[in-house]
Amino acid sequence: MFTTLKIVFIAVVDTGLDLEISFNHLLQGIGLPSSIAHLLWLPLPMLLVLTASLIGVLVTVWLERKISAAAQQRIGPEYAGALGILQPVADGLKLLVKEDIIPKKADSLLFTLGPILVLIPVILSWLIVPFGQNLLISNVGIGIFLWIALSSIQPIGLLMSGYASNNKYSLLGGLRAAAQSISYEIPLALAVLAVVMMSNSLSTVDIVNQQNTAGLLSWNIFRQPVGFLIFWICALAECERLPFDLPEAEEELVAGYQTEYAGMKFALFYLGSYINLILSSLLVSVLYLGGWGFPIPIDLITHSLGQSPNAPVIQIIAATIGIIMTVFKTYLLVFLAILLRWTTPRVRIDQLLDLGWKFLLPISLVNLLFTAALKLAFPIAFGG
Amino acid sequence: MVTFFQKAAEYAQDAISAGKYLLQGLAVTFDHMRRRPITVQYPYEKLIPSERYRGRIHYEFDKCIACEVCVRVCPINLPVVDWVMNKETKKKELRNYSIDFGVCIFCGNCVEYCPTNCLSMTEEYELAAFDRHNLNFDNVALGRLPTNVTTDPSVIALKELAYLPQGVMDPHELEKDSSRAGKLPSEVLIKTIDNDTASIGEKTQ
Repeated sequence: MFTTLKIVFIAVVDTGLDLEISFNHLLQGIGLPSSIAHLLWLPLPMLLVLTASLIGVLVTVWLERKISAAAQQRIGPEYAGALGILQPVADGLKLLVKEDIIPKKADSLLFTLGPILVLIPVILSWLIVPFGQNLLISNVGIGIFLWIALSSIQPIGLLMSGYASNNKYSLLGGLRAAAQSISYEIPLALAVLAVVMMSNSLSTVDIVNQQNTAGLLSWNIFRQPVGFLIFWICALAECERLPFDLPEAEEELVAGYQTEYAGMKFALFYLGSYINLILSSLLVSVLYLGGWGFPIPIDLITHSLGQSPNAPVIQIIAATIGIIMTVFKTYLLVFLAILLRWTTPRVRIDQLLDLGWKFLLPISLVNLLFTAALKLAFPIAFGG
Repeated sequence: MVTFFQKAAEYAQDAISAGKYLLQGLAVTFDHMRRRPITVQYPYEKLIPSERYRGRIHYEFDKCIACEVCVRVCPINLPVVDWVMNKETKKKELRNYSIDFGVCIFCGNCVEYCPTNCLSMTEEYELAAFDRHNLNFDNVALGRLPTNVTTDPSVIALKELAYLPQGVMDPHELEKDSSRAGKLPSEVLIKTIDNDTASIGEKTQ
């Protein structure tokens, strides 16, 4: 049993579409040295992922508006393009050409730096998001830890913009955002730690590979149901989505730290929050829902069809299925986040901190200890 | 120690019930995905106003006897009745009549008390104007009839909720000869008359 699992595992590691090697082969065939081929290759995945994330934001904004409309029995955007799909583009263009206002008594340097500092770590975190065995920018060894580290830069930017706006609402919003991010980072990191413990690696690729030994059944959500819930709650809090959108609570704080922002600087916040939502959903699917894995292992299907998993056509099909599965799982989670937005009322600040420190933190600690115990007791099922 | 476990158990129960209610709420929200929108796409679709809708006031100059009852019953004495006494015939001669709809609250008192029924309520409600003085309607403007929603070819007329058949919530794609829940007054009248004649017939037999 164990040996067969190991063979399948190795097979999964060895297969997979590697575009970099193909690209290098192609350029070397023309007669370029491998170092220049590598240099030419480097910007390609970055640009691709950046474009993908921006298109993802447009799709998410459209989905958010359409699903919100459906939840309230409205129609939603309708006239900008077919079914209003161009609405987010129109919104973005409008923000782009809007006047960039800096309040007179605001600290203009910090005011400008704030939104940039919020957006950059979020975009940087896409570095470790895998869409397939070799379909990611860089398989960094510290992988998921890099994301946790980067996401703690965000509250600094929020605090900065809240302070620099010279506005009571902004300051309160910024303070709330910082408090919220800091208190939810700990249970989030502990939930991730439990997953990392099971897969013996911080690398996102290894985490997904470890989940895809037996298809649907080996996904982490069945081994880490509590961890999944903790991670999802914390991810929502990190993204400042309802029920945890206190930093921008409309009824109390106008728009929180965004109050004084307009034009492109506001667009950066807007972009950052949606990229963060997609990123969190992606990481939930990577950590708990088997990433690019199909519910039935692809190798099993190719094996039963009598095909070699290393044939180019099979590789391309497998990679396409992988990307589709990742995006599908991600948008399922985005849908859930939007449904939650219209289902749950906003929590108070004391309830928020209570939930974070008194409930999620102890539960995630217990979850971690329990996972460690299970790992020692059943090393086969819990990644010995 | 026992109390601690008791507390922990209660806490866990609370957490589980909270999760259950959250799922219940999610189910309700999810159920809305399959429901049709109830919104009316206003400039293209319009609701048919009810029979007793209190819209812009219609006025017939020829029926008016310049009694000024409308002015007296108006909460702010709004209608302006411009008349002169004709010494020869010893009768009031009406020259002008106007109501400022920028000030009118559409209470309908003037319509209620007009002795000659020269005032009436229409179903017109689109009174927006660029200048508020344009809302001061004189007797010519007051005498115009509004465009009917049902006859306007550029508008899809929709029935209001109370006028839909029983169990129907969506006015779109309604069958043409569908009638609202319950009976129309005319139907009720005919039935009672039929019953009366039937009972009279029984008596004579």
